[in-house]
Amino acid sequence: MIGNDIVDLRQAELDSNWQRKGYLDKICTAPEQQMILTALYPARMLWLIWTMKESACKIVQRKTGIRSYVPLKFCCEVACHDGLQASGTVNYLEEIFQIRTEIKDNCIHSSAVPQSSDFEHLHLHYLQPSATYREEFNSLSGLYLLAGTPSGLPELTHQITGHKHAVSVSHHGEYLAIIYSDSLLSAD
Amino acid sequence: MDKDELIAAIKEIAAPYTADKTALAHLSEKTDFITDLKINSANLVDIVLDLEEKFGIEIDNDAMARMLNVKSTVEIIEAKMRAHDRK
Repeated sequence: MIGNDIVDLRQAELDSNWQRKGYLDKICTAPEQQMILTALYPARMLWLIWTMKESACKIVQRKTGIRSYVPLKFCCEVACHDGLQASGTVNYLEEIFQIRTEIKDNCIHSSAVPQSSDFEHLHLHYLQPSATYREEFNSLSGLYLLAGTPSGLPELTHQITGHKHAVSVSHHGEYLAIIYSDSLLSAD
Repeated sequence: MDKDELIAAIKEIAAPYTADKTALAHLSEKTDFITDLKINSANLVDIVLDLEEKFGIEIDNDAMARMLNVKSTVEIIEAKMRAHDRK
C-alpha cells in the first residue's frame, strides 16, 4: 500500500489561515510546531509536514477501510531537508511509514511507503488536473490501466499480468500527482 | 437549539470552505464534508475551530476524529452542549 499528497501553495495561502488561534494545536504535535515556527519559511514547513501526514494517512485508510480525522496521531520526523527535497518518517500508533517529498516553487508533494526499498519501484507523474487525467495517464503508460472503483478509489491494473498494483492519486488546486509501484500490489 | 437549527448552523460554517454550492444547497444529515462537499482536509480544522467558537465548546481529538460528516458533527455538538449545561 502506498499514499501520496500534494499541496498547491498558492491555493493553500488563499484557503488556509494556519496562523489562526488553535489551528496548529489541532494538527501538529509540539515538536512539529517547533519545526514550523523556527523554519525559514514556516508556511512551507507546515505544508511539508501536512503532506507527510496525509500521505501516510491514505495508506492507513486504504488498509483499514476506516476513515478518521486524527492528524495529531501521525507524528512526523524530517530527517533531511534541503529546500528542494525532504525525507523522513511518519509514526502512526505502532507503524512507521517512510516519506519522500519534492518541494517546488508552488507545490509540495509527499509519497509514503511501508519500507525504504519500496521507493526503488515507485513512479511519480505530475499531470494536469482535468476530468480526463486517467485517459492521459493511460496513453502515457501503455503497461498499466488506471480506472476508478465504484467508491471512487483509484485502481491500477497491469495490462499483461492483470495484477492490481498499488496506486495513489492526489489533487489540489492546479496540481495533480499519481504515484504507483511496479512491485507493490494494492493488496500488499 | 434543535437538530434542524444545528444543521443550518453547520451549513453556514461549512459554506466558505466548499466550492460545490449545489452540494452545499442539498446539505443534510447524510452529507460528508470531504466526499460530498469536497472540502479540503486542511480546512476541516477551520470547521472544528469555527464550531468551537460558535457554540462555546471544546472539540477534543477523539471527537474531531469522527467529524467527517454532518451526522456525527450534530451528535458531537449536542453531547458537548449537554455536558456544558450540566456544569
